[in-house]
Amino acid sequence: MSLNIIVLVKQIIDIDQIRNDQKTGEPILQNIPLRIENLSKNAIEAAVQLKEKNGGKVTCIIFGTDKSNTAMKEAYAMGVDEGHIITGYSGNNPYLTAKVIAEKIRAIGDYNIVILGNQSADSYTGLLPGLLSSMLDVSLLGNAVNIEADGEAIKIKRVLDERDEVISAKMPCVISVTQEINQPRLPPVLQIMAAGRKPINMEPAKIQVKAPSRVLSNLAPKSDRKREIYEDVDKGVETVAKAIRGEIR
Amino acid sequence: MKFLIFADDAKSLAGLATKLRDNGEVSAVTLEGQPKQCSNYGIKSLVELKGKAFPDNVSHVLLSMDLNSYDLIVISSSPLGREVAGIVSAKLDSPAMTEVFDFTFSPGKLVTKRFFFGGKTIMEEESDSKIVTVTPGSFDSNNGENTDKIESVELPGSKISLMEIKEKEKSSTNIENANIIVSVGRGIGKKEAIESIMPLVDVTHGELAGSRPVCLDYKWLSEERQVGLSGKKVKPKVYIALGISGQIQHIAGMRGAKVVVAINKDRDAPIFQECDYGIVGDLFQIVPKLVEALKK
Ligand SMILES: Cc1cc2nc3c(=O)[nH]c(=O)nc-3n(C[C@H](O)[C@H](O)[C@H](O)COP(=O)(O)OP(=O)(O)OC[C@H]3O[C@@H](n4cnc5c(N)ncnc54)[C@H](O)[C@@H]3O)c2cc1C
Ligand SMILES: Nc1ncnc2c1ncn2[C@@H]1O[C@H](COP(=O)(O)O)[C@@H](O)[C@H]1O
Repeated sequence: MSLNIIVLVKQIIDIDQIRNDQKTGEPILQNIPLRIENLSKNAIEAAVQLKEKNGGKVTCIIFGTDKSNTAMKEAYAMGVDEGHIITGYSGNNPYLTAKVIAEKIRAIGDYNIVILGNQSADSYTGLLPGLLSSMLDVSLLGNAVNIEADGEAIKIKRVLDERDEVISAKMPCVISVTQEINQPRLPPVLQIMAAGRKPINMEPAKIQVKAPSRVLSNLAPKSDRKREIYEDVDKGVETVAKAIRGEIR
Repeated sequence: MKFLIFADDAKSLAGLATKLRDNGEVSAVTLEGQPKQCSNYGIKSLVELKGKAFPDNVSHVLLSMDLNSYDLIVISSSPLGREVAGIVSAKLDSPAMTEVFDFTFSPGKLVTKRFFFGGKTIMEEESDSKIVTVTPGSFDSNNGENTDKIESVELPGSKISLMEIKEKEKSSTNIENANIIVSVGRGIGKKEAIESIMPLVDVTHGELAGSRPVCLDYKWLSEERQVGLSGKKVKPKVYIALGISGQIQHIAGMRGAKVVVAINKDRDAPIFQECDYGIVGDLFQIVPKLVEALKK
């Protein structure tokens, strides 16, 4: 059975490039490029692999801004067929994100699977899979490290602390993936160029929800470590041994 | 105040109950087999869910309880917990604060702390949220009053079916309670190299732990030994990081250590910003020397 797959992609600022101001502890966010969030890339790869195996179509939704074109082009280059950017994203508010995305998915209507990351790499919220499965009233297969279509049903393997499980549910369903599921592909140049010419649908979000929280502070964690670094190994070993003995006693 | 906790495991439940019980009355829901290990942490009434737990049937049971009568619903952020939290949040039409590692109450408000920007910052927020998910291992537990009432509830059917299950070997490790941790990163190069680290583990009576690539990607160590944002949060007296670069997601798991020692061949590795004592050099040369020095 060919599959209609919706993949959810978040665009974030490149968290690996963020430095914190040494004095104030404030993150310096100016001039840091945007990129696709880590788990969203795994989600795209998983969606495209499912399509390659079963046939079908991958539709990508980004709740982002008018700067989200670059992310969508990258998604196209990886094998996404159709892209929808909904603008109006203004910061981390999973409840609003879920409502906006659920509405778009209902408008698209015809789908078998929604694939997304289990916890996004910047905010680490992890709430969207549950929120969306509830709002769409479909089953949630969470934390997949492997996905297989099996007739009318989907089977996933998941790795938990105490056990590994294979679980299954009838489609349509929501599937969240973990980082271990795959190694996202690096698309060849030709594909990237072709992706640049593909049209992208863009529309503003219709729903608004007031931010559920007020940010009191957002600063680098304080570190009071001593930072005694030894390049003279023998001296270092002596000092470290003393420090360890002091604590063991 | 009235609190309801959902946690799949007794340990997280005990920690959350310890944190909450001085602020009000604590009720809790947990999975089958857990209550006997968490019936003396000041939880007033406890519900044990019998049967195979999935996000849909667990949230069904929670939603059939009078959730509006609680001031705060606290959910342990396990994979199941997060999924349940999302469903409950949607059904109650009530936004949740997520993945917090600490929280306090200021009159009428919930003040929460969580990592943001992938662990580079700590975000402190104030909200009216009625639902919060808490990173497992965030709170220590200590004994409190006995639970008066333990009730069993059979889980209803789920739309999800379990096809296969493979229990993992239960190991006796619990790095969260370790006094000394010797933690290895990708810098050890291969699984066999762990042998050469063991003398240091033995001489310090420590526990072995590792970074995410070591535990998850290469499986040189088992997953329950992973330290970090998506692993265990540890608070040993001494944390010895060997061949770990010190990415922020790793630091997020060992920030509670009293003394941090780092051995890394790269002078500019970020771990040297987050350690008390650092030695620059090849860990395979330094570790034997350190073992000798500790034997003296
Ligand atoms: C959402 C998310 C969650 C994550 N959660 C976690 C988590 O919970 N825990 C975690 O650890 N990571 C986590 N990560 C991954 C994290 O970003 C890093 O990739 C990881 O911590 C790096 O592991 P490492 O330090 O072992 O490897 P590397 O970064 O490759 O570092 C290896 C180090 O070893 C040193 N080295 C090499 N050879 C030697 C030698 N002979 N002697 C001495 N030093 C040597 C090198 O100089 C280098 O600094 C997460 C990432 C994401 C995106
Ligand atoms: N603004 C967004 N637009 C589209 N998808 C998103 C957005 N935010 C999160 N997601 C998806 O949801 C996953 C989990 O995010 P979260 O629940 O916020 O941790 C991410 O890995 C993405 O796949």
